[in-house]
Amino acid sequence: MKEEHYVVVGNGPAGNEAATTLRDKAPSARITLIGREHRMCYRPKLLPAYLSGTIEEEGLYALPLEHYQEKDIKLRLGQRVVGLIPDRKELVLDHKEIVPFTGLILAVGGTPRIPENLHIFRELMFTLKTVSDAKRWMKHLREVEHVLMIGGDLTSFAVTQALLDMGKRVAFVLNEESFRPLRSSPEIYEEAAHVLKARGVEVIEGRRVRGMSRLGQDSIEVMVEDKRISTQMVGAFFGLVPDVGFLVRSGLHIESGVLVDETLHTGSEGIYAAGDCAQVYHPALRDYWVSIGHDNAANLGRIAAQNLLGEQIEVRVPAESIFQVDGIKVNTSWWKEF
Amino acid sequence: MRSHRQNVGTPAVSQEVYSEDPADFFYMKVNVPCQSACPALTNVPAYIRALFEDDPDGSYEINRSANILPGVLGRICSRPCEDQCRHGEPELGEPVGICHLKRVAADRRSRKESAPAKLPYSGKRVAVVGAGPAGLAASHDLATVGFEVTLFDAFPEPGGMLTYGIPAFRLPRSMLREEIERILDLGIILKAGVTIGKDIPMERLLSEYDAVLATLGCYGSRRVGVPGEDLPGVISGLEFMMDVSRGRPPRLGKKSLVLGAGFTAFDCARSALRLGTDEASICIRRTEEDFKVTKDEVFQAKLEGVKILPLLVSQRILGDTAVEGVEFVRTRPGAPGPDGRRSFEPIEGSEFVIPADTVLVAVGQESLSLEAPGERDSKGLPVVDRETFRGTVPGLYFAGDYVTGPGTVIGAIAAGRAAAERIARDLTGNIFRRKSIRMREASITDRNRTWDYIHRNEMPTVNPPESRLVHYETEVETGLRPDQAAEESKRCYLCYLHYEIDMTRCIYCRYCIDSAPRDCIKLVDEVLLNEAGAVAGFKETTVWRDVNAVVIDNSRCIRCGECVRVCPVDCISVTRVELVERMGEEAAR
Amino acid sequence: MPRLDITVEICGMAGDGTIAAGGLLNEAVSLGGLFVLAFDSYPAEIRGFGRCVTRARIGETPRIALEEPTHVLISLDDEQSLSRVPSLASNSVVFFDNRPPSYIPEARSLAAHLGHPTILYGMPMADLAAGAAGTTRGKNLTALGGFAAVFGIPPVLFQRVISKKFQSKGDKVLEANLKSFDAGYEYAQKEFSERLSAPFPFPEAASEGETVLTSGNQAIGQGALDAGLQLYFGYPITPATPIMEFLAQTLPAQGGRVTQMEDEISSIGAVLGACFAGRRAMTATSGPGFALMTELITHGVMSETPAVIVNAQRGGPSTGLPTKTEQSDLHAAVFGGPGDSGRIVVAPTSVAECYSYTLKSFQWAERYQIPVIVLTDFYLDNRVESISPLKPDADAAEDRTLLPDPDAKGPYERFKITESGISPRAFPGMEGFVFKATGLEHTEAGLPSYTPENHTKMSEKRHRKLLSALADLPEPEEFGPEGSLDVGVIGWGSTFGSVLEAVESALERGLKAGALKVTSLFPYHANHIRRFMHRCRAVLVPELNFEGQLADLIGHLHHRDVVRLNRVTGQPIPPTAILKRIEELIGAEAE
Repeated sequence: MKEEHYVVVGNGPAGNEAATTLRDKAPSARITLIGREHRMCYRPKLLPAYLSGTIEEEGLYALPLEHYQEKDIKLRLGQRVVGLIPDRKELVLDHKEIVPFTGLILAVGGTPRIPENLHIFRELMFTLKTVSDAKRWMKHLREVEHVLMIGGDLTSFAVTQALLDMGKRVAFVLNEESFRPLRSSPEIYEEAAHVLKARGVEVIEGRRVRGMSRLGQDSIEVMVEDKRISTQMVGAFFGLVPDVGFLVRSGLHIESGVLVDETLHTGSEGIYAAGDCAQVYHPALRDYWVSIGHDNAANLGRIAAQNLLGEQIEVRVPAESIFQVDGIKVNTSWWKEF
Repeated sequence: MRSHRQNVGTPAVSQEVYSEDPADFFYMKVNVPCQSACPALTNVPAYIRALFEDDPDGSYEINRSANILPGVLGRICSRPCEDQCRHGEPELGEPVGICHLKRVAADRRSRKESAPAKLPYSGKRVAVVGAGPAGLAASHDLATVGFEVTLFDAFPEPGGMLTYGIPAFRLPRSMLREEIERILDLGIILKAGVTIGKDIPMERLLSEYDAVLATLGCYGSRRVGVPGEDLPGVISGLEFMMDVSRGRPPRLGKKSLVLGAGFTAFDCARSALRLGTDEASICIRRTEEDFKVTKDEVFQAKLEGVKILPLLVSQRILGDTAVEGVEFVRTRPGAPGPDGRRSFEPIEGSEFVIPADTVLVAVGQESLSLEAPGERDSKGLPVVDRETFRGTVPGLYFAGDYVTGPGTVIGAIAAGRAAAERIARDLTGNIFRRKSIRMREASITDRNRTWDYIHRNEMPTVNPPESRLVHYETEVETGLRPDQAAEESKRCYLCYLHYEIDMTRCIYCRYCIDSAPRDCIKLVDEVLLNEAGAVAGFKETTVWRDVNAVVIDNSRCIRCGECVRVCPVDCISVTRVELVERMGEEAAR
Repeated sequence: MPRLDITVEICGMAGDGTIAAGGLLNEAVSLGGLFVLAFDSYPAEIRGFGRCVTRARIGETPRIALEEPTHVLISLDDEQSLSRVPSLASNSVVFFDNRPPSYIPEARSLAAHLGHPTILYGMPMADLAAGAAGTTRGKNLTALGGFAAVFGIPPVLFQRVISKKFQSKGDKVLEANLKSFDAGYEYAQKEFSERLSAPFPFPEAASEGETVLTSGNQAIGQGALDAGLQLYFGYPITPATPIMEFLAQTLPAQGGRVTQMEDEISSIGAVLGACFAGRRAMTATSGPGFALMTELITHGVMSETPAVIVNAQRGGPSTGLPTKTEQSDLHAAVFGGPGDSGRIVVAPTSVAECYSYTLKSFQWAERYQIPVIVLTDFYLDNRVESISPLKPDADAAEDRTLLPDPDAKGPYERFKITESGISPRAFPGMEGFVFKATGLEHTEAGLPSYTPENHTKMSEKRHRKLLSALADLPEPEEFGPEGSLDVGVIGWGSTFGSVLEAVESALERGLKAGALKVTSLFPYHANHIRRFMHRCRAVLVPELNFEGQLADLIGHLHHRDVVRLNRVTGQPIPPTAILKRIEELIGAEAE
């Protein structure tokens, strides 16, 4: 009999939960967990706290090495998946290795989104998704006093708080691009603007960023509509896009994530997606949604693993709780936390 | 190839040799992917090399001899060659900017070129109906081999979709006119503004000319087929583009929705933004992955502000007296169809409305029926033999999109040229143009390995994006700068070079393998041949005693020349192998 | 903070430039003040299909043996490197080419065999080289660039050794190599910017190293030069060839001659002839060549002619394993050849000893009028060590021949019987001293004689001479505590370094162990060896041969069987393997 080899791509909460679940339910299978970063699994939610020095780097990490040894999960870090051939059940890694699998769970999470019109300014903006990003922020923050935040996704508010805690001055361009992946509504907008102002943030409302240029080592001029704003550092927070470029032309369907059915199945035999990269239709919303937050991701990872092993569990999330971030309701109450 | 097959080890070709051996055509297909991918079989390595050698005129002529309209194609070609370019193979980076270089040759040529060679008048007359890419190409080819050609078109200007479909910000009209003029200058009689079947009956043409070629294109707009499609504010995308091209753009609302996923949908959305709409969104049933347009086109459209709304399909167009919005349902991937592609099915109960005051319908185009004798198919279109381009009436031929349905410009040009050759043969019994494989002795090039790491030079565009929207005619792409063009032309591997090890002289030292850039030189037990006698594969071995030959796999080779430089016994030969077209006497021989 | 002591390995396919890269790496870190001990292994064929491995132990203190596990692996060919995976430390650092020529299935991928916490540095080695210098051949240098960047070694150290190595090959070659190195360095600086704190931090480059990297073969050549060698005769054979190459470049400048002979028989013949005439001459060979020489070596014994012969051992018998190490010629060196033909056999244990023993061999040979065999092996010949610059003893070149008394009366007797067994020696053509020489058994006057009395007398004389020599030859050296030991380990030749490291580790663990270094293998210091053995509950003799040739030679001196540890893997024996055996022996004794 052919050896079962389950591969999980993504070393975040969804991927780890999936791998652990697979081990628990399939004791004899070979399990490989592939992570793009060189680091052990950490909690991205804690990055703002790490940024401000509230917690040490060690505090970010979620699972010790022993966990993988105990569960006999092969942990392959710093290795990038660049292709998937569903028919042959093979993954292609960046260093030209072909990894065969009998079951696959895609839990690759997201990567910071930059709107098309700001692409050419990529080098001037800081994003925050990884520990490496945080380290770059920390290094640069030593030199600067003023930070301009643009976009405004869920992370941006925590980062703003972290910056204020560090005694930095913060300006915030708030517009309809903010609140990704949520749709902006006047209520959310008003409340956000209110809370930010109350904290001493200079809120620049309803304006589109046109461009930016570097004037000096720590001096950047940002054109917001026809207004010029001087700052020392620009943080870009336009939400995440699923890190699924490698699936292009694979036969799987991608939009803001990998399209899956209610059982997280991609439609290709033995291939499931979970976490921030899985896009599921929700009847109550009449729209697709993508999971956000640690608990959701872990939950989806577990379900994907169970379904890969033959179960038929459907993701059933009540509509009103979809917009929850780690247990805090999004539409109004989560601002209170800020 | 027959003359020097991989495992035979004959010395390099010492002079020019032509071959029509199927094995050699097979070799071309596998080993020169760009030329093989081009419907018109443009000799890509040759024209890029000419450009590298600072000979834009030569480069342009190599292009023109295959694809007739290099300046046009250098802008709006669908670039099937670039998808196949060896430089774009996964570990080798990005494909060469073949199309952009074509434009460089066209833009920089001296325009002092002499008229193309023409064979003497054959006494035969041909009518070509439809002055689009297929008709222009056919007219060109017929005129150059001695036929009198009369070109009819229903529109006042020749060019077909090039003139009336593709927006001026992608294809400047002056350049287009110039290239069309050059074709007409061959002595082609243009009768514009004449509709065959209406102004002149097809029967009359058939009686007055020795042959008639109909290249009518696809001017029928498909309908979405939902309620409300006839409301004011719902506009056919094709008609919209044609009206814009004629300088009579319709008034648009503030919020435009474009239904469709093809080039026309993008042209509509981008044009709409230039013509005053505030918001233009392209609504697609599937996902962005399925766009037929180039990635760059999608990026530029988004940059200009076009939004993409995926995974939805329109159900109804809403409004009392004019469009007020569109009701959509969400879609989801369904079961794979017979072609392996999954259909996207509507999700029940997922209805929602997007408000809009303009709806541009660009869901497809189709051929229109024609008043002409001959048999009809179920759709009422003439029955055509796709091999011979013949209809069911003697002397009447059809080609281009009219036969195949909406396709690419380069495809239409190739079809027009093939149809012209068929007509010429049918009328005279002679062969005028003949494809053969030309082999010439060559040496390794002056290409430097470091050039293989030059990044693709991206096309400069007018920026910021807002500035493009001011004048409709502003060409978005400004063309590669001279320095970029020089760099880009260095990137071509020149796959028309064929490298081969002479096994009678090889000493199996394997220095070539040590210096190889990838797994392009192989130790083989056996060379596998296909029925045509062409190299189809290799049985590799790692067991030394089984090694019968050291071979260069030209389908993996990037023509870096390192092997030739390190070979201590100079047993690697280089041959320049090209698919060429021979005309006139040469072809007849 | 523990002092740096790591093993770095470069592994590739023949043709990848593995050995060259290893050489540069060793030179560069040595230049930076670190101590290096390195050894290469490569296929026997000149253009082989095979694995090349260069291993270097790099540390802040001098080391005398290669050790396992490996801490850093630089893979120039992943398929070849797969076999190295079991010898990697769990937190090792691996550099590999992440743009190999073809796609590799998981089962054959190096990266797939290494999971966290191994730290992988994938870099497009060949592509970087091609991009920078126009050829993939510099990929070994881009790999070194990556290594330098990750471990924070100043690139200038590498640039200097690269310049030194390639300057003779012209500016173009030199520039290409420097560019390849720089490309790797810059790539790693950029791509690994966050991961430059490797788990084995290198110390800030000390002031320039006081030491020089020297190979065993270089040391032998230099020893011969400094001893005033005048003539070298030889025939190439791995691993002895570099000695001839070295001398070919240096000896003529010193007024000497190097002659490549048609074979080993003529080589030793020429050496004996030169020495007979009073010149200093030498040859070097390996097992197969040595076997050819044995008859003439015994001629040297019989005719009491000095000679110096280096036998650089390799795997045998016969052509055997030409590029693998082994210590299996001990019996051949001591006993090889017809008759009771005792000769002097010494075996250095380190690069420094390769020098000093070769240097002294000429004086031993002259003083005792006998062939001296310097027994080395591949692992010692080809290893490089950081050692203090070599300096000869002031009197190294001095001739120690016992000359005849010019005032002596009566006819000169070339083989005169003396108490020491040494007969005063005249050279051919020396005024007033006419003598006869022969390979037949002879009288004191040199005339053939086969009488029972004469052969007995002469055999005794030649044997006495060996006993006299014993007092002059290096005594065994003892290491470890005095008094009784649980395990005593006797080592010889290249293996001794591993023995000593193993014993040091055992002592650190509180075990009662000691080591004995035996370098004079014939004649040997039986009493001294016996004394040491009697202090030990168990005597362990690790050797790179199958039979235990030293154990056979000296084992009878002990009243218990000595414990043999024999390996014929073609590779050096790591200290850990000896340590393991020591622990087992102590455990067994305790039971």
